[in-house]
Amino acid sequence: MTGMVWAIFRATLLQTLRDRGALAMGFGLPVIFFLIFAEIFSSAAGDEVRLDVAIVDEVKSAESLRLLAALTADPAVRTVPGVTDRQQAREMVRLGTADVGLVVRADGESLATASGLAAPPLLLLVDPARGMTATVLAGQLERAYFAALPDLAVGRVAELVGTEFTTFTPQQEQEITAGLARLRSDASGGGGDGGGGWSFADLVESMPVAGRNASTNHVAYYAGAIAFMLLLFVAVQSAQGILDDRDRGTLDRIATGPAGIGVIVTGKFVFLALQGLVQTALVFVIAWLVYDVDLPGSFGPWLLVAATSSAAAAAIGLMLVVDCRTRVRAQFVPTIAILIMSALGGSMVPRFFMPDWAQKLGWLTPNTWALEGYSAVFWRGEPLAAVLPYCGVLAAFAVVSLGLTYWFARGLLRE
Amino acid sequence: METPPVLEVRGARRRYGEREALAGVDLEAHPGEIVVLLGPNGAGKTTLVRAICGQSRLDGGSVRVLGQDPARDRGVRHAIGLVPQDIALYETLPVATNLEVFGRLAGLSGATLRTAVADALTGFSLADRARDPVRDLSGGMQRRVNIAVGALHRPRLLLLDEPTVGIDPVARQSVHQVLRGLAQRGMALLLTTHDLAEAEQLADRVVVMAEGRVRASGAVPDLINRLFGGRQEINLLLARPPDESTRTVLEGAGLIPTVQPEFWVGAVTDDPEPLAELRARLKGAAVPVAELRVVAPGLHGVFLRVTGRVPVTREAA
Repeated sequence: MTGMVWAIFRATLLQTLRDRGALAMGFGLPVIFFLIFAEIFSSAAGDEVRLDVAIVDEVKSAESLRLLAALTADPAVRTVPGVTDRQQAREMVRLGTADVGLVVRADGESLATASGLAAPPLLLLVDPARGMTATVLAGQLERAYFAALPDLAVGRVAELVGTEFTTFTPQQEQEITAGLARLRSDASGGGGDGGGGWSFADLVESMPVAGRNASTNHVAYYAGAIAFMLLLFVAVQSAQGILDDRDRGTLDRIATGPAGIGVIVTGKFVFLALQGLVQTALVFVIAWLVYDVDLPGSFGPWLLVAATSSAAAAAIGLMLVVDCRTRVRAQFVPTIAILIMSALGGSMVPRFFMPDWAQKLGWLTPNTWALEGYSAVFWRGEPLAAVLPYCGVLAAFAVVSLGLTYWFARGLLRE
Repeated sequence: METPPVLEVRGARRRYGEREALAGVDLEAHPGEIVVLLGPNGAGKTTLVRAICGQSRLDGGSVRVLGQDPARDRGVRHAIGLVPQDIALYETLPVATNLEVFGRLAGLSGATLRTAVADALTGFSLADRARDPVRDLSGGMQRRVNIAVGALHRPRLLLLDEPTVGIDPVARQSVHQVLRGLAQRGMALLLTTHDLAEAEQLADRVVVMAEGRVRASGAVPDLINRLFGGRQEINLLLARPPDESTRTVLEGAGLIPTVQPEFWVGAVTDDPEPLAELRARLKGAAVPVAELRVVAPGLHGVFLRVTGRVPVTREAA
């Protein structure tokens, strides 16, 4: 019995060792796969979020310069270069060039004397779909404020004590104690009585750069992210039929006639692309009906992004399968490829959570272009012309992948 | 034959690394002719068929279908039909749908397609099962659909790769009937098989290949006559592989070795003397004879003599 088990073990081992492709897939890919996912998810779940911040200092006071110097010294904050004014910063956030904008505003109170009665001195420009970025930046700002401007912080407290409680007389100790007790009571009661209290939040105001509802935008993001990943998986699954055709001799039969292998690839591609478009439509119709994503209002641009991303997914799915040539490989390699593309491309975790290298690599994946296309449509509400660049790149993905599929498909015919 | 050939292969050569799959093959098929390609595995039959389909390039020589090169002139592929060995159909789709799909891929459309499908359903006795998925049909019926699809667009040349493999004798006869019907309509049929009985029944001409070459070609009676000249076929089976002296004796007696060392073949006249003489000679030389048979010569003997190999039996195939 042991000998028989050994015989099977040995045969399997030898077969594996002789198949270089299987070796690479079996031992190389899991390592690469792990490294990529570990990097992305540890960044997303950890404290290493890095924000690209469009910073505008309209005041340029001693305080603002010290605050911004402390903020930008923080490795979690990267300054987007070339920002000249508030409008440009706002546009950068809207277009996704910057994760969030920060304005030290000239039309607000000064950092040194802000009382909370007029406009706060710091304005955050936030994309509602990435509301998390404002929270992260506010935290970094608070840290920078207390690190860079401790005199202001203490002065504010002293001023607060002096104006709200009493002057420093012999009765100070008693009155301050009573005042602090009242502050504590106010804070725990969920807010003051209008007269007193100070917190860092008084210095900051958040302003959305897009007018749409944040939760709706989130649904639109995930509709796009899930739809595109799903498209890739379904395309690969359906494309495997071409390998069955090859094994049955159907491919030989068709290729012998006037049709040729090109007709087979084109026919499969058209089917997969249309199937993908219908699947995408289903996802977005549900998002519209259940989550109020504005599909009718953005139908034209949406259709263009959906059509080009479906075509790209179909061609990529076909290419991955045809390149594998065998069903066993075609069930493994494309799955890994899709998971990596989807992770890097933002289908699993929003890209601004990822390390810088992963964000850059993401631009090589169709997922990123599809998601950016959908973002342009639903987050930023951009017109048809603005989504054309994304659709152009997706179309290029489709054309190149389809071209490679034609090339690889010639190898499917039995030589 | 008077009519110009549908298929004309001249000096076809194809090499895979060190192995010469085709070493200068000549072949013709005329309208209405059934040509059966025989040969052991690795003889070059598949390579030749792929070259005729235009799917494999040649290193030398030429393939012409109706005077054109199917590898370069895609237009001439309308004149070729292929019936692969496997059931190359969409098995979950009905018979009629398969015919329509493949008919369209063969370049048919509109009324021509509808007529061709209707004719195929009738001609191949499939009308009753037209709406049934292919996978629900018997093996023999699936074979008929497989052939019907290849012949649907009325190609001038139909290539069939072992069209009856794996089906029972009754179903095989029905497939043979179908193939003869196609030939009677003027189609040239080139089919490969390992089944010599099938080849004898069907072939107007057999072409025996071995090691990339055509070793014999002609009508079965002509080949038998050419190789045996009215003599009987001798099959000699030795109890053990022959040593050098035994080999000398056997060759001296006019016997021919095969790739199986214990198995030798030869021919003798119908007279009793030469056979008695052979027996005496073998006995005198102490040749370890396990079996000595004298049989009426057939394609089996032709195959053995020209390839040196025992043909694959129907069961083994």
